[in-house]
Formats: sequence, C-alpha cells, structure tokens
Amino acid sequence: MAYRAEPPDGGWGWMVVLSAFFQSALVFGVLRSFGVFFVEFVAAFEEPAARVSWIASIGIAVQQFGSPVGSVLSTKFGPRPVVMTGGILAALGMLLASFATSLTHLYLSIGLLSGSGWALTFTPTLACLSRYFSRRRSLATGLALTGVGLSSFAFAPLFQWLLNHYAWRGALLLVSALSLHLVACGALLRPLSLAEDPVVGGPGAQITSLLCHGPFLRYTIAITLINTGYFIPYVHLVAHLRDLGWDPLPAAFLLSVAAISDLVGRVASGWLGDAVPGPVARLLMLWTTLTGVILALYPVAEVPTGLVALTVAYGFTSGALTPVAFSVLPELVGTGKIYCGLGLVQMVESIGGLLGAPLSGYLRDVTGNYTASFVVAGAFLLAGSGVLITLPHFFCFSAPTSKPQDLVTEALDTKVPLPEEGLGED
Amino acid sequence: MWTWEPGRHQTKVLYLGSEDSRSRLNISAPFTSLPVQEEMMTEYSNLSLESHNLSVTAAPITSLPVEEEMMTKAAPITSLPVQEEMKTKAVPIISLPVQEEMTTKYSNLTLESHSISMTERPNMPAEKNITLERPSNVELTCQFTPSGNLNAVNVTWKKGDKLLEDNYLVNATGSILYTQYRVAVINSKQMGSYSCFFGEKKQQRGTFNLKVPEINGKNKPLITYVGDTVVLICKCQDCLPLNWTWYSGNGSVQVPIGVPVNDKYVISGKHANETRLKITQLSEDDQGTYWCHAIFELGESEGHVELVVLSYLVPLKAFCAIAAEVVLLVAIILLFEMYTQKKKKPSDDGKEIEQGEQLKLDDSNGIENSGPRHRKNESVGQ
Repeated sequence: MAYRAEPPDGGWGWMVVLSAFFQSALVFGVLRSFGVFFVEFVAAFEEPAARVSWIASIGIAVQQFGSPVGSVLSTKFGPRPVVMTGGILAALGMLLASFATSLTHLYLSIGLLSGSGWALTFTPTLACLSRYFSRRRSLATGLALTGVGLSSFAFAPLFQWLLNHYAWRGALLLVSALSLHLVACGALLRPLSLAEDPVVGGPGAQITSLLCHGPFLRYTIAITLINTGYFIPYVHLVAHLRDLGWDPLPAAFLLSVAAISDLVGRVASGWLGDAVPGPVARLLMLWTTLTGVILALYPVAEVPTGLVALTVAYGFTSGALTPVAFSVLPELVGTGKIYCGLGLVQMVESIGGLLGAPLSGYLRDVTGNYTASFVVAGAFLLAGSGVLITLPHFFCFSAPTSKPQDLVTEALDTKVPLPEEGLGED
Repeated sequence: MWTWEPGRHQTKVLYLGSEDSRSRLNISAPFTSLPVQEEMMTEYSNLSLESHNLSVTAAPITSLPVEEEMMTKAAPITSLPVQEEMKTKAVPIISLPVQEEMTTKYSNLTLESHSISMTERPNMPAEKNITLERPSNVELTCQFTPSGNLNAVNVTWKKGDKLLEDNYLVNATGSILYTQYRVAVINSKQMGSYSCFFGEKKQQRGTFNLKVPEINGKNKPLITYVGDTVVLICKCQDCLPLNWTWYSGNGSVQVPIGVPVNDKYVISGKHANETRLKITQLSEDDQGTYWCHAIFELGESEGHVELVVLSYLVPLKAFCAIAAEVVLLVAIILLFEMYTQKKKKPSDDGKEIEQGEQLKLDDSNGIENSGPRHRKNESVGQ
C-alpha cells in the first residue's frame, strides 16, 4: 500500500507551512483588519457602528461553527478540493459585497458566504499541517500561525490605501482578488496518505468515536475554557488603559508591542514544543497557567512600567500557547482523525470565545472597572490548565510520546467498518 | 493724535446700550473739535459700548464713581486687560463733541476687544487673527514696553498699507505704552489687516487680521463611480451664514451650480452651519473641484471639495489581473506536481486515484502514491 507509516516531517511539508501561513494571513488578517472598512460602511449606509460590526461577528461565527463541515468534507475528499472551494466561496462573498446596497446584503455576502468559505479553508489546512509533521509539529504550527500577526500589520495600512484610491466598492473588489489566493494556497496541499487512514474509517464513524474518546472530550473542555479567557485582554486592554488615564496613542502602541511579542512567543514556543520531550500538553499547561497568572495580576499593576512589562509577558505567553494547543490534538487522537477532531474542537471552543468578551464587558459595567474582568479571564485560563492535567501521560516523565503507530493499534481495536468509497487519499 | 492726560477733569456720562434706553450722550468735555471722521466714529460708538462713565480725575480711572446702571467697558488705557466685566473703562472716544441726536443706530452690536502686547524683540511678529461674523465694534489695543524714553516713540496705525489718521488713542502708564484703535465693522470694507507701529527706525509691529469664519470642505478627494450618487458637505464650526452657494471649478473659472434648478443637483442643509450638495447620475464630466461659498454680512468665505469619478473598469482591470495571476499560480503548482510524479517509476499508477480529486481549475488528478515513497527516502535522513 502507499500509506506512509510516519508523517514526512519536512520536504513538501514546508510548502504546506507556507500555504498555512498565507491562509491564516488571508483569513484572520482580513478579519482583523476589517475595522478600516467599518468607518466607510457607517458613512455609506448611515447605520450605527454596532450594526456594522455584526458583519465581522457573523463571519467569525460562521467560520467557527462551520469548521466541522470543512473537516468532514476533507476527510472524505481530501483537503485540496475543499480548501480551493473555500477560497472561491470567500472571494465570491467579497465580490458580491462590492455591489451591496444595504447592510443586510453585506451580512449575507461577507458574513455568510465568505464566512463559509473561511470555514472550509482554515481548519483543513491546520489539520493537514499536523499530518505532515510529527517531530517538528509545534514549530511548523507556530511558524504558520505567525501569518495572523504579520498580516494584521500589513493589511490595515493596505486596506486604508485601497479605500483612499478606490472607495469601498473598489477596495472590496480587490480584497476579493486577494482572497482568491486562498485557492492557490489550497493547491499546495498535496494529499498525504498515512498508515492509520484506512483504519479510522469515514467521517461519521470518526466523529462518533471521537465523542466517546475521554481524553478528547477533556481536551475540548480545556480549550473552551482557555478560549473564554483568551480574547478578553485583546478586546479590553485599550479601554482598561484609557480608564487608568493613558492617552489613546500610547495605548494603541502598547497593543502593537503585545502583537510583536505574540509573534515571538509563537515561534519560540513552537521550537520549544519540539525540543522538549514528553507530551506537549505539559507545555500547554505551562503557558496557560502563566497567562492566567499574568491576567490576574493586571489589576494590581498601576505604574506604567509594570503595565508594559505585563503586556509584553501576556503577548508572549498567549502567543506561545497557540501552536502547542494545536499540537496536542494529534497526540491525543492521532493524525487519522485529525480533521474531524480539529473541526469539533473549533466549533466547541468558539462558544467560549463568543461568551468571553461580552461576559467581561458585563462585569465591567457591573463593577465599574476591569479588575473583575481580568481576574475572571485569568480564572478561566487556570481552570483550563487544570483540566489539562487530566490528560493521559501527563505525569509520565519516562513514557514516550504517543506515536501514530500506537494509535493505529488503538484504532484497530475499535473495529470501525470501512466505508465503501474509501477514504480521502490522505 | 489723541493723548489721554490724566489729571484733566472731565465728566462724561455716556450711556450707550439698548435702543430703548440710555442713549444719552452727555459729553461736556472741552476737547478740541474733531475731524469729521471722528464724528462718524462716535455715531457707531454706541454699538455695544454699554455705559461709560468717565469722570476723569487725577487718579487712574479706577477711582471713577461708577453708577449702578453703568456697565462700563472702558479701553484698557489704564493698564487693565480688556475684559467684559471690567468696570471703569474710560473711553477716550467719549471726549468727542458728539451731537445729541446721535441715536443708537447700531446699539445692538457687540463689542470685540483684542489686544497684543509686544516687547523689544524684533524677531517675533506679533499677530492676532480675529474671526468676525456679524457687524460689531472692534477695539484693538497694542501694548509696548520700550527700552528708552516713552515719549520718544512714534505710534502709528495702518490698515493694509494705508495710514490711518485718526480714531486711535495713545496712552502711557508707567513704562508701558498703550495705543488703541476702534473701528465699527459693518460691512466687508472694514475687514482686513490692521497694524500698530511703534517707533521710526526699528519698527515694532502688531497686526490684527479681521476675517470671516473659515469653511471646511474636505481635504482628501472623494472617490465615486460612474452612475453613483454623492453628497458634498461644507460646514463651519460655529457660524451662521446668511446664504450658501455652490460653484464647480474648472481651473480658475467658477461656474455656479443649481442656477437652472434641475434634478441632478440638489442643495440642502440640515443645520444652518452646513450645506449639502447632492449630485446624482455621476459621470466622468462631473469630476473636479467644487466650491461652497458662505455669505456673511461682513464678506464671503469659501471651502472646497474635490470629486473623483472613476469608471468601474478601473478596479475591474486590477481584479482580472490578480485573478489571472492566481490561475497561473495554481496551474504552475499542479503542473509541477504532475511533472515530479511523472518522473517517478509509474509502478503504482492506477491506485489512489479518487473521484474527490476533481479539481475545478485544472483537470489533473492528484496522483499521490509515488510522492510519499519518494519523500520517505528523503525524510529518513532528516
């Protein structure tokens, strides 16, 4: 058979890293920089800012809740056609948005259509990346995820330039052309066949087996808790600084500093995750605990030096936990079930993400400052890291990391019936 | 030229204010007769100068008995800074033989007082910009601290380049030289630049620029597309113009808009301090600069908005170029893959060709089996 026993850990894998880098840039970078369009939409449609910001919220919600769909399709057909279709959908959404005559039109085109396109691209790509690497998985994931941070720096001025030269309709048309590059990125995702693929079965069977998998469920709960607290500082840091009396420009600058340390943290943690032996879950727990402690310390820091130091540390640790968070999953469920696993995790963790920021805002309204919000965010992170301790092999310092072969034997025991049409060629 | 001499006893009771009352001018000062311009000056002198009780004794004006209904706004000849609530401002103008029948024609006009203080630093031009919207009385005061003898300093006033002969006072208190000029601004002829000059050879100059309020259009050009509708907005901060007009400019020629009223141009405005020009059915001829003029009693002020009309082809061409580049990239990637796999021994052909690999943009099926085998040999060495 043509199935590999082990992921290649290099070779074409680095092209997949490149593809994932551009994809995270084109999906999340576009989403994060969309704020420059909002000002134009408010003026063009004469709607309040709250209604306009629903566009991005709908897009993010569709992207996250649609992740399992992307996963299922990738398991059946492989990541390449799914991601290329997703790219076309995302570009089509932006293209139709350039003809918009009302805000509802934008909700449907950017929110729904582009959001579904993004759902079909991001998760399959990261899952495919995990299949291509085992020893260098964290580093590859970390490098790929730096695309998000770097693109936020690049796209915000680019979008502003497009708006100045083409007005928002022309700018949306050109962002659509930019999103077409997702198709090219999808073409890079060469299919990979791994040994445990025929064993784990089709998507339906995979999902069923995952939902009965104890460690997977515990991991999902942990990630959801982490996600609840993760976004709060991004959303509320500037407001908190303004409350303390900072001017808007230094506050925004501090956020940029946090973004830079986030980038550094991602790459450093990626490298560290591969260098340190043992389950990666331990590193995830380390970074999560540190982030939680830093968040809880935020209300205590009043002096500017303390705040700057805390923000830099927060940026580093929160960036550090992202690549290892993605690397833990293949160790738990194996690379055969990675598509479905990642899709499910993304869908469930989005609940945490959607709840976190409004909860923090509510706490702030009730108590009058951000102390409670930051402490609660830190508590969520610490709770998540606590759940991580329950993962298998956590305290085993001599046990080897679970290899794909072990999972093959594990999967064989479950006796999953093979579907007729065979798997996706991975 | 006038000189205020403290010590001369004059009793002047000047009630200037609302039209209905206090329009008495009791001036018993035995000053010399004025040239005609001075009389005209006093005609408007009841513009907002409420009441001025000038009983000048030897003491500074602060010792004037101030009567109750007097809201004395005096010139700062007595080294008082110009403030509305200042009492006992002696107005030397009162010393003119004003005729009794001078009624309060412009008595509901406000008084604007502005002052500049200068020292002997020749390299700092002292300038003040004054924004006037409605007709009012304006009092301009320059203070100067000369190094040498006060009396040796020559004081002159100019409007633009024209030397002003009268309507101004000079006073010296201690070591500070004051001069004050008053003008009733009722139309655009009185607007402009007024300068006070101290000295002959090394002239110190203070300038007051009287201007109408500025209008803000838009600094960045507005981008629109053919067939769109656009709204151009001009507004000013706190002003209430009498009227707004719009012109479109081609080079230096300005053509009025909306004169033959048609559907294409609609001029409206939600508040008095802004105006909106709505242009429908844009075409490329509508491109250019649009001027909005605000008409005040004291003159006109203008702002401008630049309009750029693009055709849809402009971004569409860029879009097609980028889309073609993406298609090219995808083709290159897939062809490269086919090429590297064809180079292998095709012993495993026919396997793993899945239906799901039907690509939309290229009709090659991904043949993967030879790939991993090749890569595995490579990766062993890693």
